[in-house]
Amino acid sequence: MQLVQKKQKEVTHKRSLGEWVFDGAVFAICLLIFLSIVYPLYFVVIASISNSTLVSTGQVTIFPKDISFFGYSEIFKDQRIWTGYGNTILYTVLGTAVNLLFTLPAAYVLSRQEFRARRFIMFAFVVTLFFGGGLIPTYLLMKDLHMLNTMWVFILPFSVNVYNLIIARSFFESSIPKELYEAAAMDGCSHFRYFGSVVLPLSKAIVSVIGLYYLVAHWNDFFTGLIYIRSNDLQPLQIVLRDILLSNQVFSQGAGSGGAAGGYAQQYADQVKYGVIIVSTLPILLVYPFLQKYFDKGVMIGSVKG
Amino acid sequence: MGKRLAILAILTLGAGLLSGCGGSEEGSGESAQTTPDGKVKLTAIMTKHPLTQEFSKMKWLQEAEERAGVEIEWQEVSADWGQKKGALLAGGDIPDLIIGPNAITDADYAQFPGLFEDLTPLIESGAPNVQTMFGEKPETKAISTQLDGKIYGLPKYQRFWPETTTRQFINKQWLDNLGLKAPTNWDELYEVLVAFKEKDANGNGDANDEIPMDFAPSGTGGFGPFMPTVLLGSQGITLTDNAGQGYFVEDGQVKNFFTDERYKDLVAFLHKCYAAGLINTEVFTQDYTKYQSVARGSGDTAAVGFTWGWEVTDRVGNTLAPQYESLAPLKENAASSDPLSWTYDYNSLNYGVNMVSLASTSKNKEAAVKFINELYDPKVSMQVLFGSLGTNIKDNGDGTYAVLPPGDKAMDPGTWKWTTTWADNGPMYIADSLKLELGTDMQSVGAQTEPLKAALDGIDKEKDVLPSIFIKYSVEDNNTMTLNNTSMLSLTLSKWAEWITKGGVEEQWDGYVDSVKKTGIDQNIEIIQKYYDDYMSKN
Amino acid sequence: MVPKNPYEHPVNLRAYKRKKPTVLNTFRRDYQLWIMIFPAIVVIFIFNYIPMYGIQLAFRDYNFAKGLTGGEWRGLFYFNQFFESYQFADLMKNTIVISLSTVVLSFPAPIILALLINQLRWKRAKKALQTTVYLPHFISIVVMVGLLNVLLSPNSGVIGHLLQSMGLGDVNLLGSTSTFVPVYVLSEIWQHCGWNSIIYLAALSTVDPQLYDASKIDGASRWQTIRNIEIPALIPTIIILFVLSMGSVLSTGFEKIFLMQNSLNLPVSEVISTYVYKIGIVSNQFSYSAAIGLFNTLINFFFLYTMNLVARKTSETSLW
Repeated sequence: MQLVQKKQKEVTHKRSLGEWVFDGAVFAICLLIFLSIVYPLYFVVIASISNSTLVSTGQVTIFPKDISFFGYSEIFKDQRIWTGYGNTILYTVLGTAVNLLFTLPAAYVLSRQEFRARRFIMFAFVVTLFFGGGLIPTYLLMKDLHMLNTMWVFILPFSVNVYNLIIARSFFESSIPKELYEAAAMDGCSHFRYFGSVVLPLSKAIVSVIGLYYLVAHWNDFFTGLIYIRSNDLQPLQIVLRDILLSNQVFSQGAGSGGAAGGYAQQYADQVKYGVIIVSTLPILLVYPFLQKYFDKGVMIGSVKG
Repeated sequence: MGKRLAILAILTLGAGLLSGCGGSEEGSGESAQTTPDGKVKLTAIMTKHPLTQEFSKMKWLQEAEERAGVEIEWQEVSADWGQKKGALLAGGDIPDLIIGPNAITDADYAQFPGLFEDLTPLIESGAPNVQTMFGEKPETKAISTQLDGKIYGLPKYQRFWPETTTRQFINKQWLDNLGLKAPTNWDELYEVLVAFKEKDANGNGDANDEIPMDFAPSGTGGFGPFMPTVLLGSQGITLTDNAGQGYFVEDGQVKNFFTDERYKDLVAFLHKCYAAGLINTEVFTQDYTKYQSVARGSGDTAAVGFTWGWEVTDRVGNTLAPQYESLAPLKENAASSDPLSWTYDYNSLNYGVNMVSLASTSKNKEAAVKFINELYDPKVSMQVLFGSLGTNIKDNGDGTYAVLPPGDKAMDPGTWKWTTTWADNGPMYIADSLKLELGTDMQSVGAQTEPLKAALDGIDKEKDVLPSIFIKYSVEDNNTMTLNNTSMLSLTLSKWAEWITKGGVEEQWDGYVDSVKKTGIDQNIEIIQKYYDDYMSKN
Repeated sequence: MVPKNPYEHPVNLRAYKRKKPTVLNTFRRDYQLWIMIFPAIVVIFIFNYIPMYGIQLAFRDYNFAKGLTGGEWRGLFYFNQFFESYQFADLMKNTIVISLSTVVLSFPAPIILALLINQLRWKRAKKALQTTVYLPHFISIVVMVGLLNVLLSPNSGVIGHLLQSMGLGDVNLLGSTSTFVPVYVLSEIWQHCGWNSIIYLAALSTVDPQLYDASKIDGASRWQTIRNIEIPALIPTIIILFVLSMGSVLSTGFEKIFLMQNSLNLPVSEVISTYVYKIGIVSNQFSYSAAIGLFNTLINFFFLYTMNLVARKTSETSLW
């Protein structure tokens, strides 16, 4: 291993014909994937500013038609949306912090072969992925803990996601060199210190992934708000947006018994539908580029050396 | 660092739990509270329509609360009530009042005994307006009374709604363009539709962009309004409330059309149309939004020839509406002597059950009933339905009233009503004696119902109408029926779509009827018949 | 040839093997570990284990007055009700077809995508692709199904037209028993493949750059590099995720299938979760839904358990 490192700089770069073909093929496939993903996304954007009737009859394909921003004005007209944004950001940041704080040390512990309870605990944790008491006992529990209608219900319950825990654990198991701990232990390094100053810095990639998973789960969580929150001041963004979304989809019930809520909003129904996606997703999209750099090749080793 | 992390983690958990425990006041109606100016504080949930504005902006509601001496903390729910309700009821801490159309169902009252208050004594002591309703319209009392004789939820009666949800429209301009007469039976309809298809009926130079016939997508949960099942009326079947699950009454006998020969004929006719390309090919896959969009055509070029809807401007938009006319029910064929019928929805459009319920844990029952009584006041009820006096309703000063046109010019009257007030979702009693002139939307609904009038009037309300809304089933029977219906609909609705698009109804019919019987349809018919007979013998 | 991944050395437990540890000893030795895992244990115990008494509901009637545990004991009544119901066979068949094809097809997709992205040489293209592929994940199910309806519509959809021009027209992709599963699975892949590839990209990022250089010196082709360096680096993650995915052989999403259902595709699209919704929505069939849920869970857990056993026997990676 160490010898290889020396030779690193001597490698001269020469691409053979095979390499060119390979790269070309990779690029072509990637381009195809890119286009097939981008078009529907682009469609969402143009549909959010086009006349909904034209959208649903297939007349909007490449350029927006009959442009109006009614959908967005309808969304932002609702003052609750700003409270919603504020709440969601608070729950997401605080919640993700608690998640990581609880999950990562536990994952580390379960990755230690010498920890004798690991198999039992792991099994006990995995069981919860499958067996649950259902909504009613959980609701009663939250009631007994006095968490109903408080922000804590977004943060503490289920703050350890077993699925994420398993992913983090297996990453620690397979990617952190075992020798590192032996060396550290010989220097009298405690688990706390080893975890904090060796494992975590080596695991930026997985911390980012798990962090992202938690972040997005909090951001998209609307069920908690729906079941456990009564006060409008505590509702997260997703609840507000769902209300707005549904208030513009009412016609699907049939105008008769739903009241003749017809022509007026019909024209804009889909604008709101697609606009909601953009409004709710944009902020979280801004996070990804910051995390992305941790997935680059060789980041981990670089951070050890540096 | 690691140590600090761990300690921090434990601290956070502890602190979180503690502070969770600290905030124990959940604002339910557990303690009797009054405001500084002596008003009683109540809590309430209302399942409102998503379009409806915030309650604090409704003048009539503020006034009603004022008069009742209460101040209500509202929780306005417009989505996912079903999911929310289960946990709320099982948790047992409900607000003083729960308001909304069938927000708490008969099954809920049975499933959660003791959670809701029997209103009978409270109505006698403190709700004269409710007593008036029960006196003038005895059926309102009947639909509120559970099998055990108790009244947990109060109904609504909104009087003005038509006898049917579904109206039948044909593009008159297309008929004129092609020199055709409006069809009077299925065979003529077929001829007309073929002409719509083959010729350039809308006159835009393209003979292929006409959709001769379109109907609302039949979902997977049963039939609804605007579907071709209304054509069963041509064979004398009277559907009630759209007969979503196929049950209907004929001469006092409960039946289900899914196993009826006449239904087979209808499916065969529709397949003939579909195979000839006369029905929108997306009729089973489009959603309701698309169904509506397609009919709006482009500019003043219409796209659809023959269809069903609530009201013509709602169905095809303001621009195209003048091209269409409302069409009378069709006969099956020229020689047919079956009495024509239609779907009779008067009960479900005008009555509603369980519009308001009171928690038995409420500490302020008298005050709550006082507020309920306000809602059933004739003048308040009118405002519940159409909006506040002044902005939505004009007081003519001579004891008569008129619904005003929308304050927002961009809105149609229906949308305006739903935006500004509780509308059909509120508890109300619109007395038959109230003198109120309706808005343009309701007037045109009335006018477009005219061609159906003869058929609707001809329906024997005693023997051919299934009064579903007035019938209360026991929990066991209700459960049995739900299980059977889920299986039955899964089978029948997919066959319905398959036969119309691909054909095969004639060959498969007998085997199909046997399968449907296996899903328990006869058991359901038996149950319904028992309750129906029981209901008819009492009324 | 290419050197072996240095991290695959078996664990060196020498330090712990010297004396036979007693419970007390190990506890004293590992107290730091216990502290670190304590919050997770507490949280899982409180929020996952305490409510588990609710499982009883599958064997009891629901009785509001007496509480969840007070209803009349019905034993396997509700299970039998499900097994004997008219739709049981169809529901099982549809559920298995949909969930198995989803697992089989959508499991390898993100692995391939991650490897592909990793092979892209042009840095900017790589970044652009990486940031695009995960975006569809954020589209809510309601909008996703709306999008499918618009794009796949045979009369007016872009993809509908595309297929028609390729001579594959005349099939209504939205309303056919033969296209429902493909459309469902492919749209699942489209939506979640990029998001699911993130974990594999993260795993790839841990490969020591020296290994790449070494393989280059050895004259390994790009294909060999993928096979000998990158795939081995992904194996532990693949095994874990595969075992976990086996735990969902009998679970399909609810909302998407429900929204995609129409009377034409109903014969293949009615699954257990939509059935439970339909019976539960009208009357409060708490016990019946609970029984069906528990049956589902047991089957899923059985598959996960078996798969985990296989994984533990054949590789060093397993869940527990």
